[in-house]
Amino acid sequence: MTENTVTLHIDGTPYQMPEGMNLVDAARIYAGIEIPIFCYHPKMEPVGMCRMCLVDIGFEARDRATGEPVLNPDGTPQVRWGRKLETGCTTRVTAGMHIRTKTQAVTKARKDILEFLLSSHPLDCPICDKGGECPLQDLTMRHGPGTSRMAFDEKKRLGKHLPLGDLIVLDCERCIQCARCIRFQAEVVGDDVLAFHERARSLQIISISDPPFDTYFGGNTADVCPVGALTTVDFRFGARPWEMENIPSISPHGPVGENIALGVRLDRDSGGVKRVKRVLPRQNEEVNEIWISDKTRFGHHFTLSPDRLQTPLLRKRGELVEASWSDAIKAAAKAVKEAGNRVGIIAGPMMTNEDLYMLRGLAGHVGSRKLGVWPPNLGDPDPVAEVGIAAGSRLTALGKGDAVLVIASDLEEEAPIWFLQAKQAADRGAHLVVANMRTTKLDRYAGHVIAYDFNEGVDVLNGLTAAAISHRWTNRSALERVNGYDELTAALKGTRQPYKEAAEAMAKARNLVVFVGDDGLDPEGHTALLRAAANFLIITGHAGQLNNGLVPVWPGANTQGAFDLGFSSENTRAMLKNPPEVLILAGAPAAADPAYAALLDRVETVISLTMFHNAAAGADAPTTAVVLPIQSFAERDGTFTSAMRRVQRFYTAHGPAGQSLPAWEAVGLIGERLGMPRPPRSSALVMQALTEEVRLYSEMTYPALARVAEQFPPIGASPDFYGGATRSAAGGTGIAWPSRAEGRGKLTVKAVRAPEGVKPGPGELVISPVRRLYDRTPEFYTATLMHGRIPEPFAAVNTADASRLGIANGDSVVVHVAGAAVHVTAVVDSYAPEGVVLLPLYLSSEPMPLVPLAGTVEKITEPVPAD
Amino acid sequence: MAEHILLRDLDIPDIRRFEVYTRHGGYEALRKVVTTMTPDDVINEVKKSNLRGRGGAGFPTGVKWSFIPRQEPIKYVVVNADESEPGTFKDRQILEGNPHQLIEGALIAAYAIQATAIYIYCRGEFWDLTHALDRHIEDARQAGFVGENILDSGWSCEVHTHLGAGAYICGEESALLNSLQGLLGQPRVRPPFPAQKGGGLYYEATVVNNVETLTNVPWIINNGADAYLQIGTPESPGPKIYCLSGHINRPGNYELPLGITFRELIYEHGGGIPDDRKLKAILPSGASGPVLPATDAVLDTPLTYEAVAKIGSTLGSASIILIDETVNMAWAGSKMTQFFAHESCGKCTPCREGTYWSRRRYDTLLAGRAAEKDIDILSDVAGQMTGLTLCALGEFAVNPVVWTIKHFRQDYLEYIQQAAAEEKPAARGKGKAARDAAAR
Repeated sequence: MTENTVTLHIDGTPYQMPEGMNLVDAARIYAGIEIPIFCYHPKMEPVGMCRMCLVDIGFEARDRATGEPVLNPDGTPQVRWGRKLETGCTTRVTAGMHIRTKTQAVTKARKDILEFLLSSHPLDCPICDKGGECPLQDLTMRHGPGTSRMAFDEKKRLGKHLPLGDLIVLDCERCIQCARCIRFQAEVVGDDVLAFHERARSLQIISISDPPFDTYFGGNTADVCPVGALTTVDFRFGARPWEMENIPSISPHGPVGENIALGVRLDRDSGGVKRVKRVLPRQNEEVNEIWISDKTRFGHHFTLSPDRLQTPLLRKRGELVEASWSDAIKAAAKAVKEAGNRVGIIAGPMMTNEDLYMLRGLAGHVGSRKLGVWPPNLGDPDPVAEVGIAAGSRLTALGKGDAVLVIASDLEEEAPIWFLQAKQAADRGAHLVVANMRTTKLDRYAGHVIAYDFNEGVDVLNGLTAAAISHRWTNRSALERVNGYDELTAALKGTRQPYKEAAEAMAKARNLVVFVGDDGLDPEGHTALLRAAANFLIITGHAGQLNNGLVPVWPGANTQGAFDLGFSSENTRAMLKNPPEVLILAGAPAAADPAYAALLDRVETVISLTMFHNAAAGADAPTTAVVLPIQSFAERDGTFTSAMRRVQRFYTAHGPAGQSLPAWEAVGLIGERLGMPRPPRSSALVMQALTEEVRLYSEMTYPALARVAEQFPPIGASPDFYGGATRSAAGGTGIAWPSRAEGRGKLTVKAVRAPEGVKPGPGELVISPVRRLYDRTPEFYTATLMHGRIPEPFAAVNTADASRLGIANGDSVVVHVAGAAVHVTAVVDSYAPEGVVLLPLYLSSEPMPLVPLAGTVEKITEPVPAD
Repeated sequence: MAEHILLRDLDIPDIRRFEVYTRHGGYEALRKVVTTMTPDDVINEVKKSNLRGRGGAGFPTGVKWSFIPRQEPIKYVVVNADESEPGTFKDRQILEGNPHQLIEGALIAAYAIQATAIYIYCRGEFWDLTHALDRHIEDARQAGFVGENILDSGWSCEVHTHLGAGAYICGEESALLNSLQGLLGQPRVRPPFPAQKGGGLYYEATVVNNVETLTNVPWIINNGADAYLQIGTPESPGPKIYCLSGHINRPGNYELPLGITFRELIYEHGGGIPDDRKLKAILPSGASGPVLPATDAVLDTPLTYEAVAKIGSTLGSASIILIDETVNMAWAGSKMTQFFAHESCGKCTPCREGTYWSRRRYDTLLAGRAAEKDIDILSDVAGQMTGLTLCALGEFAVNPVVWTIKHFRQDYLEYIQQAAAEEKPAARGKGKAARDAAAR
């Protein structure tokens, strides 16, 4: 971005400001002068509707003939003021511009506009959810009239509780028609779900989609709403803003690591304990800006769900019964001690770095290296450490001249915030390439859509790399630090290059970010795809540069942290071949995959650390001897490492569910009984020990993670300025560890080939698991308000396959795969690739494999059994 | 005027038909510009004629055309046929009786800016005229005046019609463009202006002209700017269709030169006021312009853009509504305010809230529940809207309030005195209305 600084006068004082910047932002940031606003929002295009930001604008006069500035007698430039007041939000900073914000006309205009806005406003602040953090309230106090001349019975009456979909409720009387919600959905998200209806004073917001308000981002509209018109069904009438503490936290859902704040309050309905009343975004421009997905916003109910395991369980006389912590720890320690180094650990996606550190310490103590990560389908993550997106990068910086590749991932379902950011990068002019074996929503914003056949993602990337090599779109200075370039060139010789234009756009882009998912891939395929993506980034000179690099679309909130601490998916898979004697399932729903459900039966003892005592966590396995209740992210301190390698800290928001402990503490207690040193007394001390042992994390002490990077534009910093409920970055913006490419060392490229993949036999199809945002895992399904949004278990079958199998849309079918039988409804869909059945994960409670395998689909006549 | 320039249907029966129109020199002006003139020649000729926009603002048409950036590959002409101003019905007669002259004028404008397409945006109630217009365009296309390679010049231009859906605001040019694009009919923030890249139809440079304006153009081309300047006054040349309505013996459209006086128009052409009642007020430009009291000074004012502005109103689209002595002007102000409260698009705060609030105040006034301070509230609300709104609708919406109060305050007081007289006994009662009245 070229920033040309110019001089602009506000109220007679000269200020240096970047030319072309929005006047409202510039006045706020460079002069500390507030131009009040309602409809303007720095994340959206200005529309000049509310008229609150009217200011007096003038220009220095110039002589028409000579072009010389016209001066006053005292030598100051003469200013020609506009005939009327102009909206600040639609004005851009220009040299020689003069602004007056304190004249009588401006002051009166503000008062007049506020009187108008309030004339039909219900003024029900005492019962309004927004009361206390409401821009309309605040600006009225500052600029508005003290009394109203509008007669009460002349106010416009409009609907008070209009559901816009099942999550957001509209109060038409409070609405000030600023269109922020409409514009957020249309401009930022690209889901045209809201619109204005009617005209004049009857102008109101309606949902125009079917189902209504059909989007993954709807909750953000309640945040940006500058009044209490939009409320979420989760929070409305739940608490007053000033009663809540806003605890900085990190989303436990998905790889983005959305920065959030948990609004907690002592709650009568929960027996007088503190609980989460709402989840708000916390600004972090390098992560989620000011947006969060509805999954993060509404998927917090598991933290104090009655379904949570309250006490330890111990198997006695064949039954799992409630037990004391000390008995349970004793039993667990005994089992581990007897197994010695034949202890295996599978750590789930919500295990924090502290938990993982203690688990690895325990394994180290008994001499085991079986540190597995769940899910088991992931490949070798080393390319991320090598060329992962540079620390400090922002997707918001991508625009014209830049490129984004998304491959093997449905970003909207797997990492909604990145979907939004990739879409907006494309809106700003970045070249977006989307490569998948199936259609995804992001395709509509892509400059190139590459539709490949099952298992051909690696070929696509190899083709792109080959095109870059043969057309010399490589970067010469980058190649100087590359090992293996000649071998790569040789290996790719003769590779088909069907996507030359996409390759050129990506190779020549100033910045290139590559999102790599695992859709339709087995672990070998995933390994190859990550490596192939790294190859392209390295040879085209995009590795190690700010706003460039690889972003893995990991499945879990702390999958990257697990990798960083030595856990791997490969280790998990190895346990199938070589089962350990004692298997510690740490928040890993391993029995959701039939192969691992079987593994549970093959080990001597299963120790399960879990929030939910269910089948997936080993509840049905007779080998499960000890079940320990662990705390969720809201009940404890901890850190997650996002897939962009940003270590981020979250804080204790409320008390524990039942007797649950943080997993690190439970593990520490087991270790203590095995003769390990006494466990650290706090999460902070665990992290302290971790930073001393793990080099990548040597910076990541809690005080360092609590540091706040300055945010621009400062949306959350002053709640009343830009409006909305977004919180400031307080609590820490986290630290990303640098990839190797950001250092000076050599980088390695290595030719990779697509692995064999699945070879379906006659009559068989590939059954490929698919990640959906909304599923029936207990961490999400406990949010009962979301049940209407979670699809019934289904499998997407290609039209041609379906007609061959005699399956019609809506038929009940059973998918047989790897010994599992999954009962679902068939969705016959041309978007599913031919020969591949897309089977969403965790929609059904029936176990299903997490990797693509060959299987069959069979129509059944009886209805799908209920869960 | 001996012969009509615009309303030629009054002179020549069936001139709406293509063959009749061409038999009477139709499309010769188009042929002339396309075959003998450069686009700049056309613009200069229209500039020289000082033809001013007949939609209401009176902006010089040639100057407007000259704003279009030459180098843009895609440009449009949009014809504003969303004739919605109360008391305006001139464009309707052109569309009905002399449509080819409009099509020809639009094509000349399109040639002058080298537009790729013309969109004629008609108000929804003109559905029958629009269907007829489609057939007229088809006739012109068959003859080679519309479409690909017009008159073998290498220049191509399509003509499309589009029906609005019944919103007054869509007569505002930027709301019209939004509506034409399938968006909500709300005005846009300017700049960029329609003539600029980014501000016009589909965000391309666009000229938006009124029906009557463009209908003048073929005559100017055929007869020359100098001849045109002989009609009307030097600042406001040319013929104008005056729409006479209200308390007038012969309401209707009158094509007369600019510069005749109100008196001449009303009493000579319009036949005066029914039953020889006294004329009380004149709305020279529908509901949008300031109302004028029918004084001798006003009646002797020439109907030109400048002269009407000088006496504190606007000529606008010359939709002249006459109001006689039987009408209470507070009631008239309330009627017009109801119109604006209904037609405000609701996009910007002062117009949305101000028109609604004013309407409710008038309701109170007319219901006999108002006090004198309510007149001040009406004035204040109007004053608060002035200068703060996003588009001109909001600016115009205050005129009925401000000017009826200014010129006819006594009419407001009548309602209030009447109310006071009626409510006095009630004020001693116990009801809420009584308490309210007492409080006042």
